[in-house]
Amino acid sequence: MSETMQEASVQDVQERSVIDRSVRYPVLFFFTAAAGWLFLATLLGFASSLKLAAPELWDACPWLGYGRLFPAHMDALIYGWGMQAGFGVMIWLMARLCRVEVKNATTLIVAGNVWNVAVLVGVLSVWGGYGTSMPWIYFPAFLWPALFLSYSVISGTLLMMFKRRRGGEAYVSQKYIFGAALWFPWIYATANLILHHTGGSAVMDAGVNAWFMNNLIYFWFIPVGLSSAYYIIPKIVGRPIYSYQLAQVGFWALAVLAGWTGFNRFLGGPFPSWMPAIGGAASILILIPVAAVAVNFLGTMAGRTSLMHYSPSLRFTVFGGIMFNLYGVFIALSSYFDVSRYLQFSYATVGFDILIIYGFFSMVIFGAIYFIVPRITECEWPSGKLIRFHFWYTSYGIITIIVFMIAAGLAQGGAINDWSGDFMDSVRRGNGYVVALAIAWALISMANLAFYYQLLLMFFGWGRKTEGPTLIHKKPGEAMSAEAAAGFAKEETA
Amino acid sequence: MKTEFSRFILGLTAAFALPWLLLIVLPYYQLSTIEPELYSEEDEVDAAASYPPAWTGASSDGESVYASSGCIYCHTQMVRPTYAGVDMWRKGWGGNEEDGLARETRPQDYSGDSYAMLGYMRIGQDLANVGTRHTDRAWYHLKLYNARTQVVDSNMPSYKNLYRKRLIDGQVSDNALKLEGRFAVEEGYEVIPTEKAEALVDYLLSRKMDAKIPGQGVEKEVAAASTDK
Ligand code: HEC
Repeated sequence: MSETMQEASVQDVQERSVIDRSVRYPVLFFFTAAAGWLFLATLLGFASSLKLAAPELWDACPWLGYGRLFPAHMDALIYGWGMQAGFGVMIWLMARLCRVEVKNATTLIVAGNVWNVAVLVGVLSVWGGYGTSMPWIYFPAFLWPALFLSYSVISGTLLMMFKRRRGGEAYVSQKYIFGAALWFPWIYATANLILHHTGGSAVMDAGVNAWFMNNLIYFWFIPVGLSSAYYIIPKIVGRPIYSYQLAQVGFWALAVLAGWTGFNRFLGGPFPSWMPAIGGAASILILIPVAAVAVNFLGTMAGRTSLMHYSPSLRFTVFGGIMFNLYGVFIALSSYFDVSRYLQFSYATVGFDILIIYGFFSMVIFGAIYFIVPRITECEWPSGKLIRFHFWYTSYGIITIIVFMIAAGLAQGGAINDWSGDFMDSVRRGNGYVVALAIAWALISMANLAFYYQLLLMFFGWGRKTEGPTLIHKKPGEAMSAEAAAGFAKEETA
Repeated sequence: MKTEFSRFILGLTAAFALPWLLLIVLPYYQLSTIEPELYSEEDEVDAAASYPPAWTGASSDGESVYASSGCIYCHTQMVRPTYAGVDMWRKGWGGNEEDGLARETRPQDYSGDSYAMLGYMRIGQDLANVGTRHTDRAWYHLKLYNARTQVVDSNMPSYKNLYRKRLIDGQVSDNALKLEGRFAVEEGYEVIPTEKAEALVDYLLSRKMDAKIPGQGVEKEVAAASTDK
């Protein structure tokens, strides 16, 4: 927090570059591996939506059926890309904010390899017909301990960094990361133990599954995404966060409410009716932390929004922030029976999941990656043009997905609710929109190819070299010039 | 500083632990230990029967085929009460209407499954009671082999991998699929279901979630659905 305020001393700059060097390999490892998964995930997204639009395509090949492509797509997106890219951001941010070096870089990379191998085996199993069909817990039962262990090593490192931190009170980003590190193993172990290893109520299994999905969103994706946004926005506009109190309120309100959600994915389902009801109520109350975030970000950026034209990090982050608010509103709305009767189980379900995982989380993480990678590789992104390409194709794609999936949901849900009509009406009405879904994923895949290409160049040290010590942008590139203008270059060179 | 740190951890833990305990652990235990109920005379059901009904036949193989084929992304198995949707008004979704058994689904209905396939999306019909709507095995096999054989613009994927094409050995097998028009296979060949396909059809035929509820007349049940909330 104080970082944004004070002029950094020479000592600070040196200290930072030592820290950056200590996290360099694990963070780069996670980013690059994640970007590879991302490309695969979006291709699978494209293929699975194509299958909806043209169901007889590749008919003879069971690997290319919708029922396998879709879970493989979500797996690659969540575990291959999302969580892994999140690890990189968490590690870098935690080191930077706690002002501590990472001493166990090798262990982290080993853990990262275990994670990748486990995800690879998992995706191939799902693809090959050994999936469990339990949403987001698609991997066969024997894999979860490997993922759990690997995560525990990473989260243990993060928790220890926080404990060793230097400087005063913890900034809200650190708290979010700490929370995500602590909560996830608990959620993951609970869900997997119940779903794989106990023979209890089949219905509760499905409920626990839905709870797991929502907890992964509210206790992991949202905290990690917000931790990055709370860092990037003040950093680039060059002023402290608008209200620290508000950030605190937002943090605790989310923490207290999030755990109650999940069963509202099954409003009217075969549960004691208080369970979905409390999930719905919590989802509506979550508008409070959502509003806190919105006010804080707007307040921080007031008058300096034009920086978005130049800074890729800020632009991606702000886009993500907007999507976060939209998600909050949509989920609150769909907690009402009058809305859920149409949208529950419709295409909108996928639309909302993509909205939060891609529209919010991934966009914010892209922003963070554009910020972090030059600092740890000591070179600049090769092409501002490709960054713009990445941004625009991704945003068009995401907006298309969300708009069309909600429209499809309304068309489809509306037809199902017209109980006197033919059921096939709902299928026919949904079909047109599915074509848009396929086109959107194709756009996003192209964008991600550009992103992956640039990241690989950076990985191999083929970025544009700058003069002088780390972090100093004496010769700012096209895309970085605004960041320099925005003040942090000044702050870091001082 | 130290105490502040422990207070922070305590806060995070408490925020998580409370819903974890009250929403997951306790209800899980509670719902896992529901005892079957016996019917009374008023229910007019066979004396030996209980609710939930004892499951017959091995549908668990079928359940795993259902799972690995990803039917859950397009099919729900959950009939909502009328306050939450019109599922009950769609013919056959709530079960056997002629005998007045149609109702929304309850936790006990899934007691024979290892995981209740409640669903993710509803691109195809709800399958909670598909076993009461359709009883012909050949119909299921055609649907799974290629849904377009029955519904021209269905977007349900084909599950041809669950079927085998082979040379006709003397006479056409009894269980061969009756494929016509553009779906027909070459002269001299036939398509027969594999074990997996049969298991899946067993599972689908077992989807009958309209058993009478002990102590509740059928009419009362419908009333209960609307005041449940
Ligand atoms: C891409 C989505 C999709 C997937 C995946 C899918 N279905 Fe379907 N299914 C549909 C649609 C759409 C219909 C309605 C049109 C039709 O009858 O073909 C349907 C209809 C059905 C019906 C007829 C229901 C009725 O009441 O008439 C059955 C049975 C069925 N599917 C079973 C399955 C099984 C079993 C699987 C998995 C092996 C599966 N479906 C996978 C989309 C899907």
